[in-house]
Amino acid sequence: MSVHFITANRLLQLLHLLRQRGELHAPLRGADDVVRFAPLAAGILPDLDALRTLLPPKKYLLPPRETILTYRDDTNYQEPQVTTIPLILFGLHPCDLAGIGYLDRIFLGEDPDPVYASRRAALTLIGTSCSPDQFCSCHLQPSSLSASHDLFLQKTDDGFAVSSGSPGGDELLGTLAELIEERELAADDTRRYFGNQRKLPPQSELDPSLPDWQELAEHCLGCGACSICCPTCYCFDVLEFGGLDGRSAERLRHWDNCLFKSHAQVAGGASFQKDRAQRFRYRYRHKYRGFGQLKGIPSCVGCGRCREVCPAGLDLRPLAERLERGAS
Amino acid sequence: MKRLRLAIAGLTACSGCQLSLLNCEAELPQLIEVVDFHYFPMACSPALLEGEYDAALVEGCLSMPHENVLLLSLRKRSRLLIAIGTCAAWGGVAALKNGESRKELLQAIHVCDRISSSGYSPQPLHAFVKVDAVISGCPPEKEELLRLLAGLLRGALPAPIAYPVCTDCRMRENLCLLTEQSRLCLGVLTLGGCGARCPSMGVGCEGCRGPVPEANLEEALDICQQKGYDRQTVIDRLRRFCPEWKS
Repeated sequence: MSVHFITANRLLQLLHLLRQRGELHAPLRGADDVVRFAPLAAGILPDLDALRTLLPPKKYLLPPRETILTYRDDTNYQEPQVTTIPLILFGLHPCDLAGIGYLDRIFLGEDPDPVYASRRAALTLIGTSCSPDQFCSCHLQPSSLSASHDLFLQKTDDGFAVSSGSPGGDELLGTLAELIEERELAADDTRRYFGNQRKLPPQSELDPSLPDWQELAEHCLGCGACSICCPTCYCFDVLEFGGLDGRSAERLRHWDNCLFKSHAQVAGGASFQKDRAQRFRYRYRHKYRGFGQLKGIPSCVGCGRCREVCPAGLDLRPLAERLERGAS
Repeated sequence: MKRLRLAIAGLTACSGCQLSLLNCEAELPQLIEVVDFHYFPMACSPALLEGEYDAALVEGCLSMPHENVLLLSLRKRSRLLIAIGTCAAWGGVAALKNGESRKELLQAIHVCDRISSSGYSPQPLHAFVKVDAVISGCPPEKEELLRLLAGLLRGALPAPIAYPVCTDCRMRENLCLLTEQSRLCLGVLTLGGCGARCPSMGVGCEGCRGPVPEANLEEALDICQQKGYDRQTVIDRLRRFCPEWKS
């Protein structure tokens, strides 16, 4: 089949052209060996072999901590002015693209989040292909989420087959004409693990008496790493802090975790999920069955981050393989 | 807004928590406008307890009888009593040797065994009085202290923190010192809110903010053991700031 192709030795030129259009961020391996999405300076190649960054790209759309409202007694509550500059994320793997797609459904749905929406509008997503390792499970769990992108670069031995996935991507592709050649590729090895429509069987409620919940709870340290590093965990807590002048205040949201004691706690100290075993069932439900408006749509994109970062080596996957059998 | 009438006292401690408040230099002019630091011997003289207080902020643990008298007086006079810092909250460094004989400790320090002391094993505030809120840390973060005062101005207590240092650390996209570098880091057992100050500089968490709610000590000890740190080493280190850790 015929594809648009960019040879590997033109990667720096490609990055140079992309940088003309905004701030370019890509996976980079730090001196501490941690791979992070970070600004990509001119002449530097991104780490396209790394399978996952420590934090997923959600950090660009939903920062760990941010001000969502400011108050002054003369102006009342005001949404912050978010100044967004065009941001190009290069080297996103399909799981992370699917993760952004999931967040879009949450934050751009019926009641769009204005701060998220303005950040998202400034984002260009350029994906690259990868091969799963022992932590990945995108290839084991067909997902109805799609790895939506503007451009996608399918790696081959000597370069990338480039395809567009959006009108913005078509336009961008046009500006890259000088780098692109047409090439015949033998097979269509696009290996997309997302977008396989999946009809979920009617699901019974998750059995609260399963011993697995208690077993997971016994080992869980409550460190929060699983959700911090999850591309589709978006739970946040909202706190309001008054100013010392007595006339102003700031309302913050920051990432939360459903395994924390405070997550389902309400005024007076009562909690909807008193113990960790209950909280694990809740977490499982979100990751493998979906809830709320997205009930029936599992949110796990199989990136493997939670498995890799859990200090106790906890993994919901074996349980999912048992409970979701026949679901695909 | 009504000015907040405060008493700020230091018991057995290093005064570092009170100093943290005084180090908020940029905010001090604004603070003076809204807070009446009526009793704050470290910063203002003369300092005499008088009348009632909206809140008492107390640094340090109790180890001498006169401290009990002061603490009870502060409690009686104040609508709210807030423990400031790890010593007030948990006992802290002063309580490091609480498991050992006072007599032997006195002898080791004073050499001569004729010196008597009316002191006793250092205890946190909650061993004697009702504590309405805790700001942990050695010392607490400046921001926590300022937010506490801004909240008190409105009659609000700070929202308790329920997550460990690891949460702050992973949010900063740090390498995990314990699991990925096999270095002793107590972050997973320690109350967060410090922004993972030490691990972000490559220094393992020392546990200075005391235990996180629902700390999973057994699992953490197992992981530390796999990384080459035996139970006692880890427990001893935890107890430097909080004697309540049980082995």
